[in-house]
Amino acid sequence: MAAHKRAKIRVPNSLKGLHGDEVDFDNTWVTIEAAFREIHTKNASRLSYEELYRHAYRIVLKKKGEQLYKNVHDFEKGWLSREVRGDLQQLLSPNLLANAQSVASTTANERRVSGEKFLKGLKQAWGDHQVCMSMLADVLMYMDRVYCQDHRRPSIYTTAMLLFRDEILRSPLSVTDDRMILGLLNHVILEQIQMERDGDVIDKHLIKSCVHMLDGLHADDLESEDQRLYHVSFEKEYLDTSREFYEAESELMLRESDAGAYCKRAKKRIHEEEDRCRATLMESTTSKIREVVEAELIQGRIRELVEMDSGVHFMIDNDRLEELNLIYDLNARVDEKKTEVTRSIQKRIMEMGTEVNNEALAASQAPPSAQAPATDGGDKSKQTQEKNVNQQTVAAIKWVEDVLSLKDKFDKIWRRSFESDSLLDTAMFNSFRDFINSSAFPRSSENISLFIDENMKKGIKGKTEMEIDQVLDKAITLIKYVQDKDLFERYYKKHLCRRLIMNKSVSNEVEKQMIEKMKQELGPSFTSKLDAMFKDMSISADLTSGFKKHVEGLGDRDPKRIDLSISVLTKMTWPMESINGSGEGQESNRPKCNFPTAVEKVKRGFEQYYAEKHSGRELTWLPNMGTADIKAVFPKVPQKDGSFKERRHELNVSTYAMVILLLFNDLPADECLTFEEIQAQTNIPKNDLVRNLQSLAVAPRTRVLLKEPMSKEVKPTDKFYFNEGFKGNFVKIKVGVVSSGNKVESDQQRKETEKKNDDERNFVIEAAVVRIMKQRKELPHQQLVLETIGQLASQFKPEVTMIKKRIESLIEREYLERIEGAAVDSYRYLA
Amino acid sequence: MDTKKKFEIERALATENQAISSGKLKEDNPLDTTETFRQFCEACRRGDLKVCQEMIQAGVNVNARDRHDYTPLILASLCGHYEVIQLLLENGALCERDTFQGERCLYNALNDRIRNLLLSYDYAKSSNPLQPLAAHITSLLTRPEPQTADLTIEAYDQTFHVHKFVLAARSPYFAKKLCAAPNTATWTLPQSIPSVSLGVALQYLYFSEVSMRRVMHGLNDEEEAQILRGIDKIGRQLEMDRLFEDITEVSDRRLLRQKRAEELARGRNQLEAWFQDNVLRNKVEVETAKVDNLKWDRDNSIYADILLRADEVEEDYESDDINASPGHSESSTPPAHNILGLLSKSRSPSRSRQPRRSIVYPAHKAMLLRSEYFSTMLTSPFREAQQTPYLQIVTLDCSPKVLETILTFLYTERSDFDLDVAIDVLFTADQLFIEKLKQRAALIISTLGNGNSSTVESENPRGETDTEEVIDIYEVIRAGWDTRVQRLEEFGARYIAYRLERYIDTPEFAEIVQESARRVKARQETDTVELVDDIRYYLSDRFRLRFEDSGLDEMMEQRGDADAIAEAMEALGVKDEDEEKKSGLLETEIEEQFAVGAIRTLDGEVAGDEFAQDAMNYQILLAKIDQLLENLDLDA
Repeated sequence: MAAHKRAKIRVPNSLKGLHGDEVDFDNTWVTIEAAFREIHTKNASRLSYEELYRHAYRIVLKKKGEQLYKNVHDFEKGWLSREVRGDLQQLLSPNLLANAQSVASTTANERRVSGEKFLKGLKQAWGDHQVCMSMLADVLMYMDRVYCQDHRRPSIYTTAMLLFRDEILRSPLSVTDDRMILGLLNHVILEQIQMERDGDVIDKHLIKSCVHMLDGLHADDLESEDQRLYHVSFEKEYLDTSREFYEAESELMLRESDAGAYCKRAKKRIHEEEDRCRATLMESTTSKIREVVEAELIQGRIRELVEMDSGVHFMIDNDRLEELNLIYDLNARVDEKKTEVTRSIQKRIMEMGTEVNNEALAASQAPPSAQAPATDGGDKSKQTQEKNVNQQTVAAIKWVEDVLSLKDKFDKIWRRSFESDSLLDTAMFNSFRDFINSSAFPRSSENISLFIDENMKKGIKGKTEMEIDQVLDKAITLIKYVQDKDLFERYYKKHLCRRLIMNKSVSNEVEKQMIEKMKQELGPSFTSKLDAMFKDMSISADLTSGFKKHVEGLGDRDPKRIDLSISVLTKMTWPMESINGSGEGQESNRPKCNFPTAVEKVKRGFEQYYAEKHSGRELTWLPNMGTADIKAVFPKVPQKDGSFKERRHELNVSTYAMVILLLFNDLPADECLTFEEIQAQTNIPKNDLVRNLQSLAVAPRTRVLLKEPMSKEVKPTDKFYFNEGFKGNFVKIKVGVVSSGNKVESDQQRKETEKKNDDERNFVIEAAVVRIMKQRKELPHQQLVLETIGQLASQFKPEVTMIKKRIESLIEREYLERIEGAAVDSYRYLA
Repeated sequence: MDTKKKFEIERALATENQAISSGKLKEDNPLDTTETFRQFCEACRRGDLKVCQEMIQAGVNVNARDRHDYTPLILASLCGHYEVIQLLLENGALCERDTFQGERCLYNALNDRIRNLLLSYDYAKSSNPLQPLAAHITSLLTRPEPQTADLTIEAYDQTFHVHKFVLAARSPYFAKKLCAAPNTATWTLPQSIPSVSLGVALQYLYFSEVSMRRVMHGLNDEEEAQILRGIDKIGRQLEMDRLFEDITEVSDRRLLRQKRAEELARGRNQLEAWFQDNVLRNKVEVETAKVDNLKWDRDNSIYADILLRADEVEEDYESDDINASPGHSESSTPPAHNILGLLSKSRSPSRSRQPRRSIVYPAHKAMLLRSEYFSTMLTSPFREAQQTPYLQIVTLDCSPKVLETILTFLYTERSDFDLDVAIDVLFTADQLFIEKLKQRAALIISTLGNGNSSTVESENPRGETDTEEVIDIYEVIRAGWDTRVQRLEEFGARYIAYRLERYIDTPEFAEIVQESARRVKARQETDTVELVDDIRYYLSDRFRLRFEDSGLDEMMEQRGDADAIAEAMEALGVKDEDEEKKSGLLETEIEEQFAVGAIRTLDGEVAGDEFAQDAMNYQILLAKIDQLLENLDLDA
């Protein structure tokens, strides 16, 4: 090495003076060209890579890259246009050419065979071209890397691909026919696809490779992504022909098949097209063709489909869950909101709901017809009315059950067919709400409350916790539908009140559970009064025991002492109107019942006790709500075994009945009291008196009194005797009072209830208006109304006229004033 | 960028020292007090590229430290020698963040350019210089195309395709075994050893970083133990005594890296030894005319599967006829690449009578694949890729010496060669697409070719003509252009700038400037000539260095301060008249002097004032460049 240290280093001689060496290039090119020919004729194995590469390398190093590039380009162009194009044109059979113009008379099979032949030829040519060009690119690697990069030329491979596009695909079919091969290719592929749609088997692989070729080539020279020949030339045609095909097909299918079959077919078609994109065409087309198929098969047809005789209506009625699912799926494909299905579902719910409503109305109004027992022959009309009320209650409960089963049905459809779609959930909810709150059917609140009442009293007996929970949940679902929550609250309170005071509930736990559920669903403000009722009950229990201790503490051991169990009810929380007895007018003019002295004494004792604990509270006694246990001794009568025995019974009666019975204590046997006498002595309201006497003197099992004349009806002139010969099978006997249960209201009652409700609504509305105005000080009318409605939405849906009236009234009372001269009606709050 | 706190670095340093003293860790920067290393440090300090390159090639440890705890890299970056730093880094000098010496080096960097250069070589980012070789060999285990494996090892549930030469190089056991029966085609693994164990051993042999954790993943203890026993057995049988130890995992990052580096170096040395003993020793020298008669069996003792041929250069240019080389049968073949003019010149003409000779090297396709040229060739359907009864002979367009350099690089990653073959290696590497070797050649040219002068030109401040030239700088620049190595153009510009007086008036210079201008135009319309721009830049560099060294700039700024000037004058030994002259000259007269065409004759007039002379020379040279461009009708 040291020997060369001093020597100059220089560039190899052969590289010197490279500039301007012409002859060399031509000779070298001859060699290279000859080799390229060999490559194209598949004789490459004899060629030396090293040698060819070296030639190309030298040319590029001598700055002849451009010339080389151009020569290669021209060579390829010549080769393609002479050799390859000629070969391809050989493959074009006359019937293939004829097809391109019109549907010829040739058979499908002939067409397929000639089409396949053409595709195969093209595929072969393309494959050969690719292989040869990658070999050329290998040889020309140095040119690609150095010349093409420096001069920003596309690589030779890319260029050659473009040449294939120009010289083959865009070349005319023949000298006389100037249609392009590309057009024919598209046509042949489309024809093959059509054959497949018609059920033929085609060579998917072959088509796929042709499609790959189209995808690999670009319409422009920049190779931009959106200019692929596949997209530019083929895809559009494919989509167009598909559109035509499916338009026709949907027409045909609508005519020939029912909705279910149509849906199945449509879905199958969509899957087919998706599969086709995967197996035969490009994946990128999937979404586009799907759009086309959906547009043709669904978009334009969904309405017709839904409304067909075999459409949604039919499917719902016949529980065609699968078909419903299909139609839902189709609708969802084209319409995010699924408008058509939603519409028809809503319509159907409304129809079925109205049907349930009407049935309930009819049932409650229907004449009692045959059921009315004509046995006792008493006053028929009264009896009938009584029966009628019962029947209405049954109808109310049936209504609730019908609604629930309707809900179940649609829930099932929603879950199984509509994939628990949330939009549909809302739509269905709205429909249910609409028919439940329909103005033609004003009883839903009452019915639902009755349903709960029924369950609380009887329904849940012997049920497991789970089952009870289910019942409660059902009730809650229904409550959620109710718009006028205040009305429901009113009924519920009334019914709950009876259950509590009369101890009718099966389980206090379940009652509380129910309240808890309502609290969760409707908010604590809704249940606050109900809670208060429960609280009153527990305070009362304390009071009772407290009073008992108090009495014991007095040391007054009176064997005749009466045990008092008392419920002190807060007037504001409890529905007084229902407690006071219906239809008897206001509490103020209600006559005070005269209690027997013993009872009166206890009563005063309690009043005293209570006043000590809570000063300033007034107690009002409600004897119509109370009950009493009394021990009754009946004279000795002969028994079956012949012995004489006093019979003792414990009678559980209403407070009124107790008062009545005690009258007979002082009466000598065989004497009687007339109705008027009883009324005069007790001062019990007539209505209550009648009812109590009925249960004491008419009901066969509890006939402690005898009435003269013996009839069902109680008349003012009737006489009553103590029934000495009363026979009871049990020691304890419960004397029920007729018609004290929770029954459906009569029309008149309901009107009253509604009126009361409206009165209360007035207050609520005014309160809301004042609340809003206090905060905002000034507000336009429209906005005030909107906000008021918004605030009250959870309780009820106020009518606008009602709000207007309340605002007027507030202005009159100078809570608000109109702002003079404001552009829109506005109010100001007056502090 | 997060920087470590001082105490954190100190703590790291303390633990490092502990690890070093306990022998666990090798010191990154061992103390070196030899004279050679001192000279090396001195060269780094001065910025003497040539000496640096020569000493690196001689094997000095670039990561050692001197008595004052300086490493060459710290010295070079402290003194601001960009090219030297690049050279050091390319030769494996370490500068890693979060180490004491690394941070010190960064902290000392003269300017941001150097700092960024250092950061770009941060070890965390770069990898072991042997990694490309290792990665290639590892990839051979799984590479499907082209098929290069010549031995099949069959385990009961798996088959491995391996290369005899790799096994022979890496395992003495295989070396012996295969030597005894070179044409074994299959080998069956004893049933007792799990195939996974063999897989691990093979990966290890193929330079792969074996992760036992990955291998053992999802296996139960018994299977694990079985595999480990298998590995142990294989290790003993194949006489790879380090196998077991080397695949045991280490958690420490630095220790792991150090182990890996050692393993790679060891593996490379094995491969290199084998390469020397087998490939190079088996090269055949034949008369070019008879080269086609050379027949190598497929089953040969060194498992070669291809022959590479390079022809000796003809001494006589007239007789360099294609017909003389029967390797090229086609008459249209252009004249063979006549490389190494310098070699031919240095030879005695008496040898020209001898018939032309060729040298044929047996080689392994598996290794040649590292060049894109060969990998394309061997996967193509051309003749070279086909199986023939006798080994194919592939001619390479270079001298045997260059071919040997290239083979050495491909087999061992070693690239130490002399300036005299550098240009040829550059071209051949470019032709064969061996990028790393190309860069290496360029590096060697641009460092060793720098002449005897240091970059500072301290001995030759005024660009006096070198006593001799080592290289033809024009050809170097052209080679840089031809092979697209930017570095060579820059080197050329620098080289010329520092000797511009000698080149500026020659027609060759005008020619190359024009060529450079043409290059630019061929790409796009811009108005600068790249070469001239570069020369101007280095020219300013050359003179500014002088000015800064003497503090002239400062003095000129302080003109008003008479005392200071007088002092300076006195110190410099300049007379009063000269001061006037100098000041006038610097401000106005320079232009006048150009106008009257005053050139070097001025030397005499301002004798004794080197600064003035430098400034003048600078201006004169710039003016000359402008003149030249004008003549050539080029805007700049």
